[in-house]
Amino acid sequence: MDLSNKKVLFINLQNKSFELKTYADLNKFIGGVGLGIKLMDMYKNLDPLIFCVGPLNGFFPFVSKAAVLFMNDNKLEDVYLGGYMSTRIKFCDLDAIIFHGKSDDGVVLDILNEEVHFKNSDENPNNLGLPGKKSSLVLKDKKIILDEYFEEDGSLLANKLKSLKIFGITITGTKVFIPKNMAKYTEVYKTILEKTSQIAVEKGFFPSCSGCPMGCEKSITGENGGNILVHSLVACQSAEKIYSDVGTVFSCLNVLGYDYTHEDVENFNYLVSEVLKNLS
Amino acid sequence: MTKNLKISFPQKCIGCELCVLEVQRQLKKVGLEGSFIRVFKKKKDNSDFLEYILEVDPRINSLDLEKIKSSCPTEVFEIIEGVQDGLIE
Repeated sequence: MDLSNKKVLFINLQNKSFELKTYADLNKFIGGVGLGIKLMDMYKNLDPLIFCVGPLNGFFPFVSKAAVLFMNDNKLEDVYLGGYMSTRIKFCDLDAIIFHGKSDDGVVLDILNEEVHFKNSDENPNNLGLPGKKSSLVLKDKKIILDEYFEEDGSLLANKLKSLKIFGITITGTKVFIPKNMAKYTEVYKTILEKTSQIAVEKGFFPSCSGCPMGCEKSITGENGGNILVHSLVACQSAEKIYSDVGTVFSCLNVLGYDYTHEDVENFNYLVSEVLKNLS
Repeated sequence: MTKNLKISFPQKCIGCELCVLEVQRQLKKVGLEGSFIRVFKKKKDNSDFLEYILEVDPRINSLDLEKIKSSCPTEVFEIIEGVQDGLIE
């Protein structure tokens, strides 16, 4: 895992091509909505659809969402999806995926790590990818169904996908990572997992997002809006008490080997709000 | 006495993959590739009900089974003694 760069997979829907880009100067935007806002500012001329994860996705409990950003009537929208999507993007060793251009005849995208296969629009995304290591998003009847259960809160993303003629996306991540200090990482992981009482939802037996033990009733719907640090990680909003705490976030980042300082995390909101001014 | 991990209550699985990640931590890695537990989902015919199917590699018996069992928030697993070799379901 490359801790000092952000890796972004660009997918051109118009000419069915893809390109991996690495950025050494985007780490201060952490990930999720923070990274997404910066990428939107850099590439707004492409009218991009941006999927972003954060540095803790796949590594810590309750960090189970993926952020999706796009422009809608000149307004920046941010949508958060649960299911398995965030861990699969992370295990592709990607920080973001940017879709741009528009498919002429409709497309289903089959992403395996850093490679993209463009499939016909009648392909069923649930039949693509590697079982147990994939996440599949299907556009069906004007709404999205993620991993055969999860949805978005509203229909903004579904409308955007429809406008781009993306009828499905399957993402398979097969990369593995070795934290520098496995013992310390495991210790921090367990400390976070023991904070279940701070989660703002009740435990249940509903399908859970990857890495979340709650099985809550609310997992089916994604999220809109909320704490910018939490959405940059990209943690579940119900775990805001845990992941809005700068000390906890710093510990998690530090144990994975990121070189963020306390100041980076503390000043993060200001940094993002400055970029947002450019976009508005 | 040999100890084995048994999937006693698969219907309780919520698909969170915490068991997969616990196995990986014991193997000193983070990710899905090469885990001794795999979680698959299956939609029952003509139903919105989603069920999860677990597959356990017999090599799991070389790991700390108690930790894997306790990683599951819905108590899907049991540890049983005295059964030799192979996958138990």
